[in-house]
Amino acid sequence: MMQRFSFPVVQPDPALEDLRAELQGFLREELNAGNFRPEPECWMASADPEFSKKMGTRGWIGLTWSKQYGGQGKSALERYIVTEETLRAGAPVGAHWIADRQHAPMLLEHGTEEQKLDILPRIAAGECYFAIGLSEPGAGSDLANVKTRAEKVADGWKINGQKIWSSGAHMSHYMVALLRTSPADGRNRHVGLSQIMIDLSLPGVTIRPITDLSGDAHFNEVYFEDVIVPDDCLLGEEGGGWKQVTGELAMERSGPERFLSSYITLETALYQLQGKLGSDSQARLGKLVASLRTLKGMSWGIANLLHQGISPETEAALVKDLGNRLENDLTQQVRAMLNDLPAEEWSDEMRRIINIGVLRSPPNTLRGGTTEVMRGITARQLGLR
Amino acid sequence: MINTEGMVAETAAKIFTDLCGREIPHQAEAGAYPQELWDALVENGLLLAWVSEDNGGFAAEPDEIFGAIWASVQAASPVPFAETLLANHMLDQAGLAPASGSASFAFSGADIPFGGQVEQIVLFDAKQGTISLFDNPADERRHVDSLSPDGATRFDPAGKAALASAKTNFTGRAFEALILTVRAVQMASAIEAALNLSIAHVSEREQFGRPLSKFQAIQHQLAVAASESAAATMAATQAASACARNGNDPAKAWHEAVIAKVQISHSVEAVTVPFHQVHGAMGYTQEYDLHHYTRRLWAWRDALGNEHHWSRLLGAELAVASPDQIWKGVTTGEWIAS
Repeated sequence: MMQRFSFPVVQPDPALEDLRAELQGFLREELNAGNFRPEPECWMASADPEFSKKMGTRGWIGLTWSKQYGGQGKSALERYIVTEETLRAGAPVGAHWIADRQHAPMLLEHGTEEQKLDILPRIAAGECYFAIGLSEPGAGSDLANVKTRAEKVADGWKINGQKIWSSGAHMSHYMVALLRTSPADGRNRHVGLSQIMIDLSLPGVTIRPITDLSGDAHFNEVYFEDVIVPDDCLLGEEGGGWKQVTGELAMERSGPERFLSSYITLETALYQLQGKLGSDSQARLGKLVASLRTLKGMSWGIANLLHQGISPETEAALVKDLGNRLENDLTQQVRAMLNDLPAEEWSDEMRRIINIGVLRSPPNTLRGGTTEVMRGITARQLGLR
Repeated sequence: MINTEGMVAETAAKIFTDLCGREIPHQAEAGAYPQELWDALVENGLLLAWVSEDNGGFAAEPDEIFGAIWASVQAASPVPFAETLLANHMLDQAGLAPASGSASFAFSGADIPFGGQVEQIVLFDAKQGTISLFDNPADERRHVDSLSPDGATRFDPAGKAALASAKTNFTGRAFEALILTVRAVQMASAIEAALNLSIAHVSEREQFGRPLSKFQAIQHQLAVAASESAAATMAATQAASACARNGNDPAKAWHEAVIAKVQISHSVEAVTVPFHQVHGAMGYTQEYDLHHYTRRLWAWRDALGNEHHWSRLLGAELAVASPDQIWKGVTTGEWIAS
């Protein structure tokens, strides 16, 4: 009698816990030295190349790829610990996050030897950053509607069009974009799409920041006007972009950044409130921790499945849906708990962090596939679509 | 994922599939006790699966026990299977022989699952540190729970002589961990069974010329319920795993067990509302099967302390723990010793 969903329970590995302790030591030192200010949603909205280089020097970027390409030859489980600890600290990891998580593995699979030798060591050093090129003005949840074209020319591809909501594009060296390389086949729009790596310093690329409601400008519009990239920038199969992208999205939906992005808000509050919580707040804390522990179990279970080469798409979508809701709920629960402390006793840091948390909450349930898209994936697995 | 492999789990699953068809819980509620089902559980020794060989049991691995309990709830079994298993385990831990028939358990004076049915009751007395076995005479069995046929009733040991009594090394927290874990497994199983019924119903039932399952509003309600179901199973599995790893001292599994009870009890409203909503009036009838799961979920979230009770108890401990200790618990499942 099988259960409907498959999340193995995996015990912590002592070797991984040593790595955790190292990370904690480093992050504490950096924080105490005033080298960063903790923030919620740090992996998307808090970037500091100097910090990324420090992590690169210590071997904490590119953990999963081989030494020949500047990596550490370790497993995705080790990378999980690094991401978990940096999220807990609210550290400025936004510069390298996407390249490390997503594009380096893509290059390893589809890149030329030359690209791997050139780019991967720079990513691992925390010096080379990537942006995601999926959304367009007319292609949000309806991603297959991308219109930006790549046309075959003599020595490569000529790109025209526009991408939008590209986080970190203003500081990135490359974008991997989903582009139309041939027309849709009637109503089947999933054919004719390809993934192409674009050097963002090329002529014809224009990057304009978009300011978000908090005044930050970490995402961008990126315009392409007759941008020519060489042949080998096509990653994977020509026309196979849809399958590659959906596979890639499934892999990144269950990581710790899907349920721990706001943990720094709770942690900051706990330092303020230790020993001062009233009975209602204790109940809130108990419930919150129960949800966090459960999500950790699910996310860690999937990480271990991915490590074995199994990609559970629906389970990942479930984690993202539950985790994003938890992240936003966490901020609300902390707001309620803070009433146990007179407002004049709230530290400035507490106010700053909780305000950032509130302002940065809307994109949680949007990026990487909206909640509605996640529920559609789940509904399909349940046999309802 | 709850382990459903191994002799105990597979034997139990077969018995419940063969002898607890969908008519059985209906008949049981009409007063026809499923004697054949109960006899099969007895004859196959399943009620002694969680008892050491010294006391006549066969000491199955705990994760197999939880798999057997999962199977019993899938079939909406109306017999006190999990309760007797656990009652016998509690007796065994104190070096006492198993109950002679059906049994259930409680903390002193608390509500007793299936108390209106079981022949014997095992009580843990925290003050004395003892486990005692009492008769539950037929003429004194009182069913006081309108939520569920197997729900709680009261038992007052005052003035009654125990059939057997002995000191136990297990603390109150050890028994809490075991009881809450068993309950968590039952609840996660009931949620999944009700989800499966809901999926089947919306796939068959047509309105406006198409199956309900084709409406996005329906799809999303069940997708949310499915995510809660997956989380419930995860929480129950983590608790079961902690109990299995700490068989000699389940107190060490206390946090994971409480977390499971909190997580799952909180999700009961989030799942039973859509389950009933997508079933329409059909799901509200006695004739249909949904209530075998939803009424049990409503009863189980309250019995032995509801989600608010356990959230506060857990939170009260965490409120005086350091942020480092809380983080360690969340990430590794290793909680402060207490």
